[in-house]
Amino acid sequence: MAYDPASLDKPFEILKAFDWGGDASAFQPIDAAVVAAHADPAARADLEKRLATLLGAGTSRAAKEYVCRKLSLIGTAASVPSLAALLPEKDHSHMARFALERINAAEATEALRKALGTVLGDLKIGMISSLAGRGDAASVPAIAALLSGESKTAVAAADALGRIHTPEACQALAAAGGITDKAAGSAIADARLACAESLLRQGKRAEAKAIYTSLSESAAAGTTPTAKATRLAAARGILACLDTTTTS
Amino acid sequence: MVHDTSARSIPPASEASTATRRGFLKTAGVAASATIASPYVITSKALGDATTPPASDRIVMGGIGIGNMGSGDQNAFLGRADVQYVAVCDVRKKWRDDGKGRVDGKYANTDCAAYVDFRELLARDDIDAVHIATPDHWHAIMTIAACRAGKDVYLQKPETLTLREGPLMVAAARRYGRVVSGGSQRVLEDYKEIVNPCWAGELGTIKSVDVSVGGPSQPCYLPAQETPTDIDWDLWLGPAPWEPYNSGRCDGNYGTGGNSWRSYIDYSGGSLTDWGAHHFGGTIFATDLRELQPLNVTYHPASSDGKEAAYVSVAYPNGVELHHNRPQQLRPKDPLVGGRGAIQIFGDGQRRAAKPVPVYKGTGGIYGDFIECVKTRERPFRDIELAVNTMSGPHMIGIAYRLQRSLNWDVAAQQFTGDEEANRLCDRARREPWIL
Repeated sequence: MAYDPASLDKPFEILKAFDWGGDASAFQPIDAAVVAAHADPAARADLEKRLATLLGAGTSRAAKEYVCRKLSLIGTAASVPSLAALLPEKDHSHMARFALERINAAEATEALRKALGTVLGDLKIGMISSLAGRGDAASVPAIAALLSGESKTAVAAADALGRIHTPEACQALAAAGGITDKAAGSAIADARLACAESLLRQGKRAEAKAIYTSLSESAAAGTTPTAKATRLAAARGILACLDTTTTS
Repeated sequence: MVHDTSARSIPPASEASTATRRGFLKTAGVAASATIASPYVITSKALGDATTPPASDRIVMGGIGIGNMGSGDQNAFLGRADVQYVAVCDVRKKWRDDGKGRVDGKYANTDCAAYVDFRELLARDDIDAVHIATPDHWHAIMTIAACRAGKDVYLQKPETLTLREGPLMVAAARRYGRVVSGGSQRVLEDYKEIVNPCWAGELGTIKSVDVSVGGPSQPCYLPAQETPTDIDWDLWLGPAPWEPYNSGRCDGNYGTGGNSWRSYIDYSGGSLTDWGAHHFGGTIFATDLRELQPLNVTYHPASSDGKEAAYVSVAYPNGVELHHNRPQQLRPKDPLVGGRGAIQIFGDGQRRAAKPVPVYKGTGGIYGDFIECVKTRERPFRDIELAVNTMSGPHMIGIAYRLQRSLNWDVAAQQFTGDEEANRLCDRARREPWIL
């Protein structure tokens, strides 16, 4: 069926004031149009524009959430500015990331990086999470700088670097050995294990073994469950490095 | 097959070390006896008796998500003489209290600890293993956290909510050498009438299977209700988008018609992955597809006259096709050589050599299988990697329904080929401060 923008005027009007508990069937035509737009770039662009417009003032939280879900599927660089504007807002930051994390455009990555440097607390952790989800190697220095900060953020930063596990990420983790926060230390250890596994997959046994040995030694005196788990994981890793049948 | 090779670069526990829990404890006990000279009172319970193993041979367990299915899992583990159950965790006070009550009643004391936050339970040094029966949106985060804390995990099905979670969970299990068992007790126990003939070769080479089960989950637009004081709503939502409390949004009943979390896309894959974990799980086990993932997903639109609803098929590398809700009139008339209500199996009828059916280890069904593997460090019947493979098919089917088109899956890359929108649906951003 051909895209008929006029047929969506009323659903979009209803959507703008939608709240949980309202009649969602009224804007189901938007759902159908979003799916059908896959084969119609012009329709997709028009839909994206109309959806992004609703992210401004005067739209309910529930409606913004709906819009972010739809943009997570069909959003492009065109909707990044509208989504990026929501990143500092506590009530909307996650759903903005819900869309931005999936949008395959450099502008989306840049918006998340920029917000990483400005938002605080849990919202900053959200940016770390989404940049890790996108595997953004260029954000490694900014994320690595957070390893020595507040505990929760440092944990998230370590997790993210482990997910990204580029050589630069692994170097940053190795350089964070002096961090005394226990939770951050455990997360760094886990991330370094991920780095070692990556090296092992590449056949770089000596480098992998060096990480495992370092972790084994640093966790030797630990009595927490995570310290014990790290010791075991490091020991298993050392064995894997010795096993010449273990290949990439 | 799970693509994240970090999951395979480390040998499984059974390969990396032949040391068993019992062996380690025996050795440790010898060392300890040489150094401890002070008086030491050992209770009769600690020593064990004819029916109860000594404390050193009991697996110390806790449960996370202790309502509906969690209570069933808890009872199964609590009933075992080789398990010492010490802690429960739930964001709802009622489930927490009920769960603690069952444990305290069993042991005739008040020792069972109760937690709201799973991280506190995982931080305990004395707990060997946990069972997890939260809504699906928590499974990956909790399982990975448990592995990092050195716990073995029995995880209710469906083990994953997104395709991306699976490899990360397998990687964590392998990294820390943990036993991580999926939790579909029906796969082996309830589908014998299809499992046995398939493995016996009676049906010949399997060509296709029709699985009838409900569809994918839906968005939730339920109205806001006043949040009860006995639930930590923020923690219930966890990594899921913030939405207002509604009892129908978070009830743990087994329906998928809109009055349970199993109905909704933020927390579940719907009936397709919930009951689907059983029906597809039984099918995939019966047809020996557990180590494979589909390559092609075919969306069949509804007929123009509306008589036939849309349905989706997945094709595996060995040629076997699974059809989800294919209309009866489109199924082959002959030869139907196996079936069980919601599952119909079509083989070529040319008898082939029998293979031994994989079975549980230990005693006590899938729960006993898990406990036995905790002791021996073997891979369990529904090892997390097999569970991840099993659930990949239903997840892909759900994505095809959402997009209403056919898809191709690159197993090695763990992504769809040439369909960016489909790849966007392989995972989702988690609400801060949760990170996967």
